[in-house]
Amino acid sequence: MAPNKNTAFAALHELVKHHIESFDYFVDEGLEKAIAEIKPVRIVDKTSGSTLKISLKDPFLLPPKQEGRMNGAMFPSECRQTKTTYRGDFKIDVGFQYDGGVDIRDRINFGHIPIMLMSKLCHLRGFDPQKLVKHKEEASEVGGYFICSGLERLSRLCMIQKRNHPISVVRRSFRGRGAGFSDKAVVIRCVRGDQSSVNLTLHYLQNGSARVGFRIAGREYLLPVALVLKALIETSDREIYVSLTCCYNEKYQKDKGAVGTQLIGERAQIILNELQGLSLLTRDQCLKHIGIHFRPALSKFETESDAFVGEAVLNEYIMVHLNNNRDKFNLLIFMLQKLFALVDQTATPDNVDALQNMEVLLIGHLITVYLKEKLEEWLQKTKSNITEEMQKKGNEFKDLELVKKISRRHAAYVGRSIENLIKVGRLATLTAIDLPQREGFTIEAERLNYLRFISHFRSVHRGSSFAKLRITTVRKLLPESWGFLCPVHTPDGTPCGLLNHMTATCRVASFYDLNGQIKDFLKVRKSILSLLIGLGMTSLKQWLEHAGPPEVLHVLLDGCVVGSIAYAKVEKAVLHLRNMKLVSSSGIPDDLEVGYIPVSEGGAYPGLYLFTSPSRLIRPVKNISFSTDENSNIEFIGPFEQAFMEISCPDGGNGGRRDLFPATHEEIHPTGILSVVANLTPWSDHNQSPRNMYQCQMAKQTMGFSGQAIQFRADNKTYHLQTPQSPIVRTASYNKFFLDEFPVGTNAIVAVLAYTGYDMEDAMILNKSAVERGLFRGHIYQTENIDLECNKIMSEKSAEIFSRRKDAYKSFVDSDGLPFIGQMIHPNQMKYCTFNNVSSQSKATLLRGSESMIVDYVAVDGSGSKGGIRKVNIRSRRVRNPMIGDKFSSRHGQKGVCSQLWSDVDMPFSSVTGMRPDLIINPHAFPSRMTIGMLLESIAAKGGSLHGKYVDATPFSNPTPENNSEKSSGRISLVDELGPVLASHGFNYHGVEVLYSGVLGTEMTCEIFMGPVYYQRLRHMVSDKFQVRSTGPVDQITRQPIGGRKRGGGIRFGEMERDSILAHGASYLLHDRLHSCSDYHIADVCSKCGSLLTATFVNARKRLVTDAKSSLPPTRSSSKVTCGSCKSSKGMETVAMPYVFRYLAAELASMNVRMDLRLSNEVRT
Amino acid sequence: MDSQPEPVSYICGDCGGENTLKPADVIQCRECGYRILYKKRTRRIVQYEAR
Repeated sequence: MAPNKNTAFAALHELVKHHIESFDYFVDEGLEKAIAEIKPVRIVDKTSGSTLKISLKDPFLLPPKQEGRMNGAMFPSECRQTKTTYRGDFKIDVGFQYDGGVDIRDRINFGHIPIMLMSKLCHLRGFDPQKLVKHKEEASEVGGYFICSGLERLSRLCMIQKRNHPISVVRRSFRGRGAGFSDKAVVIRCVRGDQSSVNLTLHYLQNGSARVGFRIAGREYLLPVALVLKALIETSDREIYVSLTCCYNEKYQKDKGAVGTQLIGERAQIILNELQGLSLLTRDQCLKHIGIHFRPALSKFETESDAFVGEAVLNEYIMVHLNNNRDKFNLLIFMLQKLFALVDQTATPDNVDALQNMEVLLIGHLITVYLKEKLEEWLQKTKSNITEEMQKKGNEFKDLELVKKISRRHAAYVGRSIENLIKVGRLATLTAIDLPQREGFTIEAERLNYLRFISHFRSVHRGSSFAKLRITTVRKLLPESWGFLCPVHTPDGTPCGLLNHMTATCRVASFYDLNGQIKDFLKVRKSILSLLIGLGMTSLKQWLEHAGPPEVLHVLLDGCVVGSIAYAKVEKAVLHLRNMKLVSSSGIPDDLEVGYIPVSEGGAYPGLYLFTSPSRLIRPVKNISFSTDENSNIEFIGPFEQAFMEISCPDGGNGGRRDLFPATHEEIHPTGILSVVANLTPWSDHNQSPRNMYQCQMAKQTMGFSGQAIQFRADNKTYHLQTPQSPIVRTASYNKFFLDEFPVGTNAIVAVLAYTGYDMEDAMILNKSAVERGLFRGHIYQTENIDLECNKIMSEKSAEIFSRRKDAYKSFVDSDGLPFIGQMIHPNQMKYCTFNNVSSQSKATLLRGSESMIVDYVAVDGSGSKGGIRKVNIRSRRVRNPMIGDKFSSRHGQKGVCSQLWSDVDMPFSSVTGMRPDLIINPHAFPSRMTIGMLLESIAAKGGSLHGKYVDATPFSNPTPENNSEKSSGRISLVDELGPVLASHGFNYHGVEVLYSGVLGTEMTCEIFMGPVYYQRLRHMVSDKFQVRSTGPVDQITRQPIGGRKRGGGIRFGEMERDSILAHGASYLLHDRLHSCSDYHIADVCSKCGSLLTATFVNARKRLVTDAKSSLPPTRSSSKVTCGSCKSSKGMETVAMPYVFRYLAAELASMNVRMDLRLSNEVRT
Repeated sequence: MDSQPEPVSYICGDCGGENTLKPADVIQCRECGYRILYKKRTRRIVQYEAR
């Protein structure tokens, strides 16, 4: 829930709401639930026989506060400046109980847990913009991320299987489970109240039976399905048989939607016979059987009976989302029926890649699960520590203080591991968490510009395991994603289709209702159930008397079979349920998913599936069958139900819908299928679609206005555009998301003409005077964090502080050893100066690199030090004015590189206004790329600027109403709307102008298209990229030039370059590049023994005589060299060779391989 | 180390008050106790030419 519905920037808060709500859940409920689920440990003293029970009671998670004496509230801006973590104390009351006596409580500190910004524990929650600014935040700060060591990190949403819904899967790897396994299975991901999950797989065996598979601590266990069925409840073979076969009825066998076949009876027989073979007849026998076999896997049971262990297995691993064994039994029967329908091909397998069967994994839920595991780990560790201690010192068991001390020992590790999860995004777990991936859960929130920043919160990853896969099916754009994931906003290249972005209207169902209260799911389910019974559902107690589809459909509520409903009544019931969603007083949540799968011939398995669960994707649409009132008919729908709904789309063609199925719902606006960034492209419906994708990428690489709070931030690197403008042509989303707070470009006057030839191949000419007036002017801010405490060696009590040595460097650094603010520091000049109190030595640190910097600010951090300056942030500023080689782009995927800063007097000028363009691009940029939106933008912006008005360029905004098209002959084209505006101001209707050549002063032979286009400056700039070297540092071992721009290295002249030079026959050049300019070396080789390594110098003093006059590489005579092994200097020759060759000889010699050189003039005998 | 170091002025990050500190002083605002201080812009001439 956003702090307040009416606050400013509500639309922005809505974009990150799912992050904050999930963390709020962790704070409000998840923490308590997780701790309640943790079983206490019992330690038995073997000598006295007394027991100690350690249990976890109440958790306390506190808001962040300052460390040290003051204990005041800690605000996020301070964490950013001091590179600390925004975290709160985490404590739990732990109960110690001896022999069932008094439960002694002790509050143990479990370290700190990072607090998400704007969550319930954040101090900024509910602040209005003024207050936010006062606390050094942006006025539009939305939160939703963590601050870890000064870095802003946030979770990356991952797609996982929809919870508590069985889906049928065909996967070849299932065959490898064992002999007789088929590739078909029904899979369900069961989620407990504390968000931890256990996957359950129901495998089909070739012989007609089935196996229940689940994992304990990473190992998979497979049980015969009948064993589980019988162990769950007291039942009879007949009940199982009838329940299973009830979905088959001869009467309906050929009817549409019949899922059962007569084979089911035989299979039921086989399933039951399996148990006969094991001679397990009663529930008790089954439980004991399970208990005996699982006792080794579950180490925590020692004294309990086998049946108890068996029951524990059922409780903890079989369908954990249900509490009632009868419900579990029913669901398992349902899954079996679904599995058999899949095998008999009366129902198709579900698509595991479709959004229909997926939900997202939220950080708050992940933290809850992870924390639970870490606390369990701590309990186990404490237990083993205490027993160990007991063995050492016999009778210390009753010493409560010692026990407390032992338990405190590893407590802080719990908080640290949570912080680590957020810092590196990796789960350090071996066991319990049943998730498809272990890493990549968090990413750094880059604030290159606001679009990039906000896109992080909207991104959804398909799962890192799919990134390595070579198949491309998971990357496909599926129709199920319509309206939930943006089809435009996905990167091209490796993550294409795996990293998606939620649409601007998409949300995530949460634990909180509209009033910000935690939902009571029990109550919700109860009211849904009573409503369903009122609508004609017969509730299910036993399966015996029931029929199956197509006669009746099963109703599943959050993965629990609650009953069945006659097929004739379903449609009415669904309609009523949907209408009740809109009535706030009905007790039906507004995000209830009513997944009604109608009967079909061999289609998806029919049924009515209802979901109230959180972390589903939902989006608003208009329910036109309910009422026509604009405000009260907004219904939230999920991807599961969407596939079976009739939603019309006012995009002009109505999405190709037919009249056969009347629409019950309507899209609010066609732009609802686009993400925030894709929504910003003006008239994107007029562009070729890949260009819109490129624009989404480039918008996120644009140098923009980085924010108002820049003075209080210490980002490692910030790009800042000094002269941004608000675009004249904009979409509705631009205003909706307050992007004028963070503009990302400039309205440049663009002329489309081939002028001077410097605009060939996507190059563009910038007007030099326009640049000098401040067009695209930008800076790079880099902050260096220097902490002298970190540098000191552990043993040495050295105290280094910032200080200047005497008056020595008065002109470079201030007397505190830090640079003057506003001063320019050139390469190899002093940046700061430190003084070591112990060794009384000063040390100056020089500016490295080849570019000078301006000192922007110096912040001194006094926290945690006694005296003297120890910790500082020095921020540098570097000018980045546009220059040749910098990259720019329009908002239509039209990028180009500046090829020339052309002087203003030589630019072409308009015959009427005398205007010179800021920017010239080549007309060849348009025909093949078909970015008509850019041409429209130019005309519209021209009209808009003449009019003094912003122009709305929302795509799909004037659809053709089908009935209107008969009256007027088609809609008037956009050009005919924009043209008259230009004409009314005396300009050409189509936006062209007569230009004169700036060089010759003659009129150009054709009219030139000219107008303002919003241009972005991309962050790729030559100043950060150019690399040049003549001579410089070489590698120590090979003596070849090193690589890397930072170190002054060269660019590799690699194999392909070698081949091309070779093909040209330029052998001298090749020799020059690869030898003379690289590791040229003259070696002394003994031609007698052919050794390269045995040469020794007789007269070492004179050996370094370089021939300074000659430009040739130095040579020297071999007379003073002797061969160490031949003991003579007779055969010594000098040979020019690459130094690595000599190195190779040495390496080979170390492996006892002798390299033998045969010289042409060898003197061998 | 400098024998008589000139004190340097800093501005408190919280209250904006000016603090003049000597090298051995505790880095803390005298008014509000805030521990992040910003250095003041130098009074020296940093650029001679403005072209």
